[in-house]
Amino acid sequence: MGVLDGLTPGKRVDGYLSRRGQVLRACIVLTAKLFFADPQWIIPNIIAPFIFTLVAFFLFGGQASTGSFLLYLVLGSGLMGMWGTTIYGSSNSIGFDRWNGTMESTLAAPIPLSWIALGRVLFNTFEGVINALFILVIGLAWFKVGFGFVNPGLFFLASVSTFLSLSAFGLMMCTVILLSRKGGFITNSMEIPVYIATGTMFPVSILPVVALPFAFLLAPTWGIEAIRLSALPGYAGLGTTYWTDLAILAVETAAYLSLAFVLFKRVEAYAKRNGTLEEY
Amino acid sequence: MSKAQPDLQIAIEVRGLTREYTSRSFFGTVSKVTKALDGIDFSVKKGELFGLIGPNGAGKTTTVKILTTLLTQTSGEAYILGLDVRKDLYEIRRRIGIVFGGERGLYNRVSALDNLRYFSDLYGVEPAVARKRISQLLEAVGLAERADEKVEKYSRGMKQRLHIAKALVHDPELLVLDEPTIGLDPGGARDIRNMIREMQKQGKTILLTTHYMFEAEELCQRVAVISKGKIVALDTPSELKRLVRDISVIELRTYGVTTEYVEVLKQLPNVVRVVAELDSEVQTIRIQSPLGADLLPQVTSALPSDAKIIDRTIKEPTLEDAYLRLVEE
Repeated sequence: MGVLDGLTPGKRVDGYLSRRGQVLRACIVLTAKLFFADPQWIIPNIIAPFIFTLVAFFLFGGQASTGSFLLYLVLGSGLMGMWGTTIYGSSNSIGFDRWNGTMESTLAAPIPLSWIALGRVLFNTFEGVINALFILVIGLAWFKVGFGFVNPGLFFLASVSTFLSLSAFGLMMCTVILLSRKGGFITNSMEIPVYIATGTMFPVSILPVVALPFAFLLAPTWGIEAIRLSALPGYAGLGTTYWTDLAILAVETAAYLSLAFVLFKRVEAYAKRNGTLEEY
Repeated sequence: MSKAQPDLQIAIEVRGLTREYTSRSFFGTVSKVTKALDGIDFSVKKGELFGLIGPNGAGKTTTVKILTTLLTQTSGEAYILGLDVRKDLYEIRRRIGIVFGGERGLYNRVSALDNLRYFSDLYGVEPAVARKRISQLLEAVGLAERADEKVEKYSRGMKQRLHIAKALVHDPELLVLDEPTIGLDPGGARDIRNMIREMQKQGKTILLTTHYMFEAEELCQRVAVISKGKIVALDTPSELKRLVRDISVIELRTYGVTTEYVEVLKQLPNVVRVVAELDSEVQTIRIQSPLGADLLPQVTSALPSDAKIIDRTIKEPTLEDAYLRLVEE
């Protein structure tokens, strides 16, 4: 009797949503396992946020007359950490397969690559949440920042929405890496301009007028506004309401997602024509 | 004119397949066009074990990439199980399994079990079925005991067996094996060849690319020889060997021979070809000639005094001899 005799016949999952759900779960689980398998995860997620927060407090902490300003700093540092992880993670989501030698195996799977990338980007953005939570803990425990959120429920909703918008943005940036192995330069160079444009550390209102359209097209700008409105007492920000910010965030996130799926289809076809998919 | 119905007994059909690679300068102008495939045609029957052999850069990997939907052809047509590689990507991918040679294709920082679970999910295998199949496959490829270990701790042979399990996890009808024994020690390569035979017994259609002629001769029912992007011969190994039936092969095992001696052998009358492997301590030299044993006195007399012939054998030509004639013509 042969060693392959008597194998259970393969049976497939049916249904559009179950199939995609299965792929998202598999990609999130694998990305998490790969993430924790490398002990270096402590550097960007624990050590770097700690340094970020420390620098922010030394820069602005002395000016703080109220606890809410310190909370402003903590939220800003946390969002900077989330964005940094998202932008790094988006290039890593597909770039990782290039240098790991698994690009062909990933591409050969019977599912659009965008769903594989989405699963990975979701976990990579979640790494940013770990990062942000750690900053919050440092702020609360070490710098004695008051935990006086205006509305914790709305804060949670705004945080989850911002997480999803960052994931959608990360997915869109993934296509740059798919297009070219040099795409990492582009995604990495976006880190600092987006910190500034979205108002993580400085209010958007102090930006020059020419920079505002760019800031408003970035969904995290509205997510950060909504987070601050739900957390900081008396926060005025751009003068919009919480629900307006959330609505704009939702529209822009949907636009990013749609664009990402279209781009994935086109870029994948382009890369297949040019034979650049597995190049490292 | 009505479209021709696909032949249900054909698993792979390739017609006039051409692939060009275009290099561009910094300014986007075309600097070079390389033809990797130049209008190849072949077909593989269902359940057949078909070999694609050729030197590096001949077009084997390009063919495999097109057939596995990873690369688009410049022109021509290719069908897998009656499906068009340009249009039916996901259906084709669902029904084929791919084994890559070398170190690529696995996540080394996680376990074999994690790799198989991940790929079974990507291929849409029902989780309850996947659990059973994964455990059976790990047993079949001899990795059950070490399924929880990180793949980075595996030997090359173990990784290659895991590749086989990965390719079979979704129960494909057709397998594409791209140099599956490359870099393996003889024992590891033999294990993989046994598994390939097993897969064929299960009724799978197999497309095998290999550098090793004895492997193609041992395993394949038919072989296509590809050279410079063209198929230069396609037949059974025994028929291909008939191309060189006019010659015999003197195989020498030697010690201390240099390339100068090989050059002297090449200049002897009636020597068709000399293939020498001089890197190891015990060297191998194969001399193709219609004279057979009658050439031995000249071969021996040309040997330098500081070299030694350990043994000599007169052999029937192999697929490798036929292959060399084909790719060098």
